[in-house]
Amino acid sequence: MPLQQWIPQMAEGCVLTIKLFLITALFSVPLGLVFTFLYTTKNKLINKIVGLYILIMRGTPLLLQIFFVYFGLPYVPVIGEYLTINDRFTAGAVAFILNYAAYFAEIFRGGLLSVDKGQYEAAKVLGMTDMQTRFKIVLPQMFRIALPSVSNEAIVLIKDTALITAIGLTDLLKVTQTIVNRTTNISAFAVAALFYLVMSYVLTVFFKFLEKKFSF
Amino acid sequence: MSLMQINNLKKSFGNLEVLKDISLTVEKGDVIAVLGPSGSGKSTFLRSLIDLETVDGGDIIIEGKPLCQGGKYIPMKERKQVLDKMGMVFQHFNLFPHMNIEKNLLVAPLCAKQADKDSLKEEAKKVLDKVGLLDKLNDMPSTLSGGQKQRVAIARALMRNPDILLFDEPTSALDPELTGEVLNVIKELSDEKMTMLIVTHEIGFAHEAANKILFMDGGYVLAFGTPQEVLDNSGNPRIEAFLNKVL
Repeated sequence: MPLQQWIPQMAEGCVLTIKLFLITALFSVPLGLVFTFLYTTKNKLINKIVGLYILIMRGTPLLLQIFFVYFGLPYVPVIGEYLTINDRFTAGAVAFILNYAAYFAEIFRGGLLSVDKGQYEAAKVLGMTDMQTRFKIVLPQMFRIALPSVSNEAIVLIKDTALITAIGLTDLLKVTQTIVNRTTNISAFAVAALFYLVMSYVLTVFFKFLEKKFSF
Repeated sequence: MSLMQINNLKKSFGNLEVLKDISLTVEKGDVIAVLGPSGSGKSTFLRSLIDLETVDGGDIIIEGKPLCQGGKYIPMKERKQVLDKMGMVFQHFNLFPHMNIEKNLLVAPLCAKQADKDSLKEEAKKVLDKVGLLDKLNDMPSTLSGGQKQRVAIARALMRNPDILLFDEPTSALDPELTGEVLNVIKELSDEKMTMLIVTHEIGFAHEAANKILFMDGGYVLAFGTPQEVLDNSGNPRIEAFLNKVL
């Protein structure tokens, strides 16, 4: 099978890769932000619960988490049947979102710690409420500080999406493997690498643009 | 009625007693320079007046309304109203780095719904003009010099129409050649009868611009009076030793 036929097939595989990337990014960033807030509230119990969640999500392989969400959740005692996700893509996406939210939570927490104490004091003496301070003063600076780490995480994510093949979905890498098996020509791997590189490059340019736009 | 009445303030950080017994009456139009060796509690005292530090004992009464009495604070919700009368300028400016100068000036008054946006924008221009930085309206803080940043910080505090302005070492982070422009702005404010408390190491400026000097040492008020009384002929060896060191 010639190269001209590989490309459309691989591009089709890319659609799933990109879809999973976008959905994960869309949901894990806000969810991570929520975890950051819960992790930094004064309530010790909530802190501990979120801390444990982050420990589990960062401390176990994403691949295992994908297996758990798709194969394992139905076997959870009592509530298992309510947790069952039959759609493979949805199950995979849930695992990705939960996992990446934990990483984003830590990234945002780091950003939050980097915001100078004087910013809170200045806002306070100007009569701003805690909420106003958080949304108008602290969050924009936190996002800006976190941006390079978020960019890093996004590039890791675009490559991690390949893990979803473990529950039987066909993404860019799976298509490539099939082509290699069929044609016994390993150069398809090089083409796949190029696809990933292009996607990573687009992300790099996009985040560079954001960093520049929001520099201060 | 005095503008601010402070009685017997006490404050400790752990075992360290920073404020042992500070009392002060501030009248309208007073420009009080707070002097003293480092570690004497000047900054802690100033910060406690605007609720950035919590005192352990004593009263802080602002325009007749207590912020705390006998070390007991009024509820959070009511504090804002009392504190609204005061503004503060910090040693390190604390401008909001992600906003241009205009937004730095507007954000707090807009949050407080002090007036409508258009009139606040006019006000911002007036106040910036007053500190000589009208041309920087659309610039980002990072592009300004230290002296300019501090003048913006003063303008930002003025936007909230405070009755009392507190300055915590406003020129200590500046290069020597930039302190003058900031001190001039403060002097102009004193000409306009703005009530101010200024923690500073600029003895000459204190002598010239302040009508009263509060000299603190070891958490106590060592002297309080006119610059002539406190600086020129206090007869107090601790004050004279301090002046000899800094002059």
